[in-house]
Amino acid sequence: MAGSISATADRELVVTRVIDAPRRLVFKAWTHPEHIARWWGPQGFTTIHCDMDIRVGGTYRFGMRSPQGTEHWKRGVYREIVEPERIVFTFAWEDPDGHPGYELLTTVTFSEQGTKTRLTLHQAMFETTEGRDGHVTGWTSCLERFADYMLTMA
Amino acid sequence: MAVDHLSRTFSALADPTRRAILARLISGETSVTELAEPFEMSLPAISKHLKVLERAGLIVRSREAQWRPCKLEARPLKGASDWLERYRIFWEQSLDRLEGYLKELQGKEKRRGRKH
Repeated sequence: MAGSISATADRELVVTRVIDAPRRLVFKAWTHPEHIARWWGPQGFTTIHCDMDIRVGGTYRFGMRSPQGTEHWKRGVYREIVEPERIVFTFAWEDPDGHPGYELLTTVTFSEQGTKTRLTLHQAMFETTEGRDGHVTGWTSCLERFADYMLTMA
Repeated sequence: MAVDHLSRTFSALADPTRRAILARLISGETSVTELAEPFEMSLPAISKHLKVLERAGLIVRSREAQWRPCKLEARPLKGASDWLERYRIFWEQSLDRLEGYLKELQGKEKRRGRKH
């Protein structure tokens, strides 16, 4: 595994990975349901539903089952699709009643690195209630500080 | 942790002034007047922020002392940070599987290439 999890200046979630496969194939694996169903979700999870309308403004909904048998559903809207470079989509888990929860904006970029592909996944926070104009920056660093603080309390 | 609580926590954390207030409270209980000092803000404006933080359960205000000190409440923050950690794990494990899957896919392509 060649990759890292790092924090950007505004400390949002960033995951990078260099994958030993050509970019067109990596992009395909992210944009076709028959491929997504094969790798989406943590180890041991199985895809039980995968419906995606891959175009700007199109929606998707995925269902997966944990090894313990619990179902998890997520959904979102595609905001940007630039083959084979970038996809941007919203991401929200559904609660047991099927209502989407807190929504995150996820950007996945694919860049060629020789015969390999560098994948960068960036997950940004924005508020669901007060609109999407004000991206929330710096709040994760705040969380980290409090995590340290709680350690000192323990 | 319920989604509603998380949304409230995140909305409360979205504001830089409120984050600064929380950071200030790490060092201990503080009065509203003291909290307002570093900001160029009126007391009512600070009180408004405190209300948001209080509603999100991020601070508690003592009713015993007359100066009603504010105190940090760490539990919701722990919930929010756990939630973020779950996303981290989700992506890491998904990408592990993606790598494995692409390896398998390319192996198949190569074998097919040899046949033709």
